[in-house]
Amino acid sequence: MAQNLVELCTILIENHLGDLAAQIFTTLAEHGRLSAPTLAAHANIPLVRTYTGLATLLEEQLVLHHAAEEDAPTYYSVSWRNAYNLVRHINVVSLVTERHGEAAGQVVKNILQLGHARVGDLTDAYNLAPGSKRDSGVETGANHVPEAVMVNGAAKSQATSNQRVTSASELHSILRTLLRFGILVKVGTRTLMPIADLQEQLQEAVIVDQFPDRKVTGPKKAKEFALAVNDLKRKWRRDDAFSDNSDASSRGAIKRPGEHFNPNKRLKLNGNKPNGHMVNVDCEPSVSKLPLDLIVRVDFTRCSLGLRSQRLQKLAKRPLGSATGAVYGALLQALEDKVYSVRGESDESAKDDDAEKVLPSADLSQIAEMLDPTIDLGSSIRGVGTSKRLPNGTGTDGKRKHVIDNEFAEIGIKPEISGSEDDEPTTNGFSSYRNHAKRVKMIEAHLVLLQEHSKEFCKRARAGSTSTEWGVDFETLTDGLIQAELDTTIAARFGSTHLRVVRLLRERGKLEEKQVASFAMTRIKDIRAVLTELQSESLAEAQELPKDNQRQPSRTTYLWYFDPQRAQSLILQQTYKAMARTLQRIPFERERFRTIIEKAERTDIKGQEQEKLETHERQLLREWREIEERLLTQVSRMDEVVVILRDCSGRDVSLAT
Amino acid sequence: MAIPAKLSDECDALYTQLLAAATNSEEGLKKVFFQNDIQHLLTDTAKSANNLLPVLQELQNHGLIRASRLQGAMCWSTRPRGAAEHIQKLSTNERALYEYVEDAHTKGIWMKDLKRRSGIEEGKVQKAMAKLEGARLLKVIRNVRAPAQKTYMLFHLVPSDDVTGGSFFDAGDLDESLIEEVANLIVFHVRMSSWVEQKVPRSQPQHSIEGEGDTVAGAESDAKKRKRTADIEDSAPARKHRSRREDRDMIMTQLAWPANSHEYPSASNIHDFVTTSDVIRASKAQQLSVAEIQGVIDVLIWDDKLERVGSGYRTVRGVSFRPPGFVDEDQEDEDGEGEGNGLTQAPCGRCPVFDLCGQGGPVNAGNCEYFTEWLRHGA
Repeated sequence: MAQNLVELCTILIENHLGDLAAQIFTTLAEHGRLSAPTLAAHANIPLVRTYTGLATLLEEQLVLHHAAEEDAPTYYSVSWRNAYNLVRHINVVSLVTERHGEAAGQVVKNILQLGHARVGDLTDAYNLAPGSKRDSGVETGANHVPEAVMVNGAAKSQATSNQRVTSASELHSILRTLLRFGILVKVGTRTLMPIADLQEQLQEAVIVDQFPDRKVTGPKKAKEFALAVNDLKRKWRRDDAFSDNSDASSRGAIKRPGEHFNPNKRLKLNGNKPNGHMVNVDCEPSVSKLPLDLIVRVDFTRCSLGLRSQRLQKLAKRPLGSATGAVYGALLQALEDKVYSVRGESDESAKDDDAEKVLPSADLSQIAEMLDPTIDLGSSIRGVGTSKRLPNGTGTDGKRKHVIDNEFAEIGIKPEISGSEDDEPTTNGFSSYRNHAKRVKMIEAHLVLLQEHSKEFCKRARAGSTSTEWGVDFETLTDGLIQAELDTTIAARFGSTHLRVVRLLRERGKLEEKQVASFAMTRIKDIRAVLTELQSESLAEAQELPKDNQRQPSRTTYLWYFDPQRAQSLILQQTYKAMARTLQRIPFERERFRTIIEKAERTDIKGQEQEKLETHERQLLREWREIEERLLTQVSRMDEVVVILRDCSGRDVSLAT
Repeated sequence: MAIPAKLSDECDALYTQLLAAATNSEEGLKKVFFQNDIQHLLTDTAKSANNLLPVLQELQNHGLIRASRLQGAMCWSTRPRGAAEHIQKLSTNERALYEYVEDAHTKGIWMKDLKRRSGIEEGKVQKAMAKLEGARLLKVIRNVRAPAQKTYMLFHLVPSDDVTGGSFFDAGDLDESLIEEVANLIVFHVRMSSWVEQKVPRSQPQHSIEGEGDTVAGAESDAKKRKRTADIEDSAPARKHRSRREDRDMIMTQLAWPANSHEYPSASNIHDFVTTSDVIRASKAQQLSVAEIQGVIDVLIWDDKLERVGSGYRTVRGVSFRPPGFVDEDQEDEDGEGEGNGLTQAPCGRCPVFDLCGQGGPVNAGNCEYFTEWLRHGA
C-alpha cells in the first residue's frame, strides 16, 4: 500500500531536486534507515555523490539524520511527511497569500523553495540584485516542478517578489507576522531528527533525570513516566519555538516580553487586506528586526490547520450561506491560535485526567476583529438585518409572498450576497460603539445558526450559559469533514444511489440485503447491483453468517456494512496513485511539445518569446503551458483531498516514520 | 356433511349481535369473542353456560362462527354470511384448507405450507384451491418477501403491510414513481416552510415576472442549458446554482430563520401535509403511515436533500422541488460531472483500469487515453 506513496514522493523529489536525490530517496525508502556507506552500496552511487545527494535532501528536510553518540555513525531515514509536503507548496502559498497578502505569499514561496532559510540570507536575497550568491541558491529549486522553471523561469518569480517586498523592514514585519501565526517556525537542532529517535532521547533524558533506578514499568511508575515525558516534550517544544526573548534581535530593537509584539497585534486587524502590511510598515518604522542568523522553515502542521479551517468553512457555507460561512471562517481563524496541532493540545492532558473536554474558544469581539468588515451579515438571516431598514421591511414582505407563489419551481440561492443591496454604510468600519454592538449581535445570530445545524459547527464554550465565548469541537467536525469527502468521492464516482446506500449502512450498521433495499426504497435487484459494485471497489463489505455447518451460500445470510476507516485509507492511497500518474503524465506531454519548448529555452530566445517566435509557435507554447498548468492544478486539488483524509484528524499514522 | 336445519332465531340473533360487534370493533372480522364476551351480549335467559353451548354449536355447524383457542381459552370469531353459505357446500378437504387460509388471516399462506400442514396430496390441494378461488372465497396475492411463491388469503381481506411491503408497493412491486412523487412533495413542503425566500432585484427588473405559471418548465430548461456551459471549476452545487443565475436580473435568496426561532416541520407534520394535499389518491393517502413518510425523509436525508434541525427538518440550501411534468434530461450532470473533489475530477479518479495502471505496465500515464481525452476537453 505504501508503494503508491513511494512512487509519488520519488516523482516529487525527482522533479524538485533531480535524479540523484530521487535515487537516494528511493533506496532509503526501500531499505529503511541506513548509514551513508551502506546507502551508497545499496544505491550503487559513489560515496561522495551520496553525500552530495544527502546534503540536498537534508536541506529540504526530506531526509532525517541521527547519530546516537558523538562519534557513532550517522543514520539517515526518509521523512515521508516532508517529502509529500513538496506537493503541498502551491496550497500553502495560496493560503498564506489569502490570509496575509501577496508579499507574504512570495516570502513563503521562497522559503518553501529553499527548504529552510536563514533570515539574513533572505534579507540578502531580497535586497541584492539578482545573481548574488544566495540568489543562485534560490535557483536550485525554483518551483516544486522544475519544468515550470524551464519555461517561466525562476528569474521571473524572483523579479516579482523583489518588486513586492521593497524594504528590509517590510520583510521583517512579514516574517514576524508569519512567525506569530505559526506558519514559519524556527529550525532547531532537533528538527532534523527522526521522531522515534527524538522520543528515545526524551525518554532517556527523563530516566536519567527522574528515574535513577531506570525502573519505569508498573502502573504507577508508567503513568508518572509518561507525564514526565510529555512535560519535557512540551518544554522542548517551547524551547524550539520562536520567542522574542530567547531569540533576541541582533540589532538592538525594542524587546517586548512574551509573544506580544504590538505591531503584529495591529496587523491582525488588517490581516485580510493585502496592503495591510504596507500601511503598517509605513506608519510604524520601528519594526523590530529579527536576528539574522535565525533559521526558519514553513510549518506544515500549522498550514494543514489553516487548510482544515478553509474546508470547514466551505462545509458550513454550503448549507448556510456565505455570510454565515464567513463568520465561521473568522471563528476558526481566531481559534487557530489556540490550537497547537490538528489533534489539539488538550488531547494529552485529557488522557491524564478525565476532565471534561475543554474546547478552544474565542470571544465574539475577537471574531468580529477577524471578520472582513465588508461582509453583509444582516441580509441572510430573516429579521436580523431588518431592524436597520424598518420602513422598507413591510414592502419587501409583500413581495416575498408573491415570489413564493410562482417561483418555488426554481432553485433559488445566491450565496454571495453583495453589499450592493443596502446602500447604508453602517456595516463598514467600527465608526461607533453602537454599530459595533449591532455587528457583534449579528455575528452571534450566525453562530447560533451554525450551532443549530445538525453538524453543530460550533457551540458556546460553556454549555447553557449565554457567554460570548464560542468554541468548536474539532474532533467531531473533522470526522464530519472526512465523511463528507468520502461521500463526495463516492457520489461522484458511482452516483447518488450508491451514496444513499453507503450513508444508510454507515448510519444503520450491518444490514441484510433486503433491509438495505427497504430502507433505501429501491428495488432489491438494483440494490444488489449497487452493493456488488461497492464491494468490488472495497467500499462495502459483507459478513457471512452461515445458518448451518455446511456454509452453503444459499443458506447463508450476508450482512453488509461500510467501514469508514478502510474506505478512508483506500481513497487516500488511490489519491496518491492518481497524483503520481498525473505528475507522470507531464513528461509525456512535454515530449509532444519538445521542439517548441527547446526552442523557447534557447538563450537567444528566452525572455523575448514575443518577438522571436512565430504565431503558431507561441500558440503551441501557450497550449503546453496550459496543459502543464492543468495537470499541476489537478495535483494540488488532489492534495486537498489528502489534507482532509490524512492530515486533518491527526489520527492517521501512515506517515509516522 | 349434512346440511343442518334452518338456523334458530336465537342463534340468528346472537350471530347478528356478534357480527355487529365485530364490524364495529377495530379488528373487524378478526375480532374474537371469549365466552364471557358472548354471555355479556346475550339476553339473561341464555346466559348460563349450559344454554350457550348448543347455540354456539349450531352456529358453528352453520359455518357462521369458527372456534379457535387463544391463550388456552376457547374463543370464537364470526364469518360473513355469504362465506358461511359457501363453506356449507365444501368438501372436508376443501373445508380444512379453507380453515388454514382463514387462520393465516392477512398474512396469507403459502401453497407449500398448505400442503405440508394439511397433509393432503398435491393434486387434490391444487384442485381444491382452484375451486375455492373460483368460488371467490380465496384469492392469490403476491408477497413481496417471496414473490415466486403463491400466497392465498381470504377473498374479503386486505393483505397486511408485511405482505404487500407497505404503501409503496404496488402489486408486490416497488412503486418507484409514487416514492419519487412523495419525496418531491416533501421537498416542496419542507422548503416552503423552512426558508424565507426572497427575490432581490439585481438591475433592471424586466425578467422579474418570468417563472409565472406556464413558463416555469421553459425557464428551468433554459437555466439547464446555461448550467452545462458553466465553468468546470465551479464545482460546489451551491455555486453551480448561483452561476446559472448569474446572468439573470433577479437573484433568488433563501434567507434562514434565526436559530431557535422557527419551528421546522416534523415527520408527522409532513405526513399531514402529504396525506391532505390531494396530490395522492385518497385511498393511498389514507394508507400512508407516519413511519412510511419517515422512511422517505430518511432517504431524502441520505440524498442530501433534507437536513435535521432540532426536532424538525429543513431542506438543504439550494435544493428545490421538481415542478410536475418536468423531466430531468441531464441526469448525468447530477451524477458527477462537475462535482466531486480533486480526485474524482482527475481522470484517474474514475478510471476503470486504475488497478492495472503502473509504470511500464500495459496501461500507464503515457498511453492513457483518459488523460488525452481529459486534456483535450478541459477548461
